[in-house]
Amino acid sequence: MRSYLRRLARALEREDVRSISRRYFISNGFDGALTSVGVSVGAYLSGIADGLTVFSIGIGAAIGLGTSGVWSVWEIERAEKRAELARIEHAMLSDLDETRIHRQQTGARKVNALMSGIGPIIGVVLPMSPFLFEGTLLSMRAATLASIGVAVAILFTFGAYLARISEQSWLVAGARMGLAGVLVAALNLVLPG
Amino acid sequence: MVTARRLVLDLLKPYKPDIVTVADAVAGIDGITGVNVALVETDKEVQTVKMTVEGDPIQVETVYETLEDLGAAVHSIDEVVCGDHIVEQSTTPQD
Repeated sequence: MRSYLRRLARALEREDVRSISRRYFISNGFDGALTSVGVSVGAYLSGIADGLTVFSIGIGAAIGLGTSGVWSVWEIERAEKRAELARIEHAMLSDLDETRIHRQQTGARKVNALMSGIGPIIGVVLPMSPFLFEGTLLSMRAATLASIGVAVAILFTFGAYLARISEQSWLVAGARMGLAGVLVAALNLVLPG
Repeated sequence: MVTARRLVLDLLKPYKPDIVTVADAVAGIDGITGVNVALVETDKEVQTVKMTVEGDPIQVETVYETLEDLGAAVHSIDEVVCGDHIVEQSTTPQD
């Protein structure tokens, strides 16, 4: 187990692995946060009176999105990395199975899939957490607003983080990402259903 | 196991691992006292490099195994020096 974790940590040290993992994490985390806004506003407008029920629906969404994140990226990266290895093997005229490059690709794929799955879980579970306090600290309306607030804050953080690595204004990038959460909430309010 | 004092190899390798990693991995083998890796040619997916290894002694099979693990292929052995001390090429009238 320790050597397995060490291999994953070693894969994470490589910039190419970090870069791809970052994209999957942010992209799927973005999906998760916007899904949670849709779930919370939809649940409130549907008249669900119990916060725990809304939280359970959110967890269902997190499981679905998390599984999708891991599974799809596992398959995507498997295909991409096999294609990359085949190109190199063709140029080398030799088999590269069981070589360091092959092992590194496998480690990278695991890290990519893991990060892809963690993104939506964070993106859904944190915004859904205010519903756990419905009935004690918060009303249903307040829990919904708090949920939207947490989702927008997560989106803002994603934007600010992306701005930091690309040397842009964190405030502008964060606001641009956060705006998506507000927009989804507004669309849920105005669109039928 | 065959041992040598100096080994000069013509290698074909993928871009990754880079030549720093390749040199470091070979230098880490027991008996190796120094490694030089020079880029000869860069193609679309692969690089041709010249590797000079010196050691006391070099375990030749271990060097090959390490290179294979790194994904590199030995194209040719361009020079090898065996024995108690390193003998340089001598000049002949033909040269």
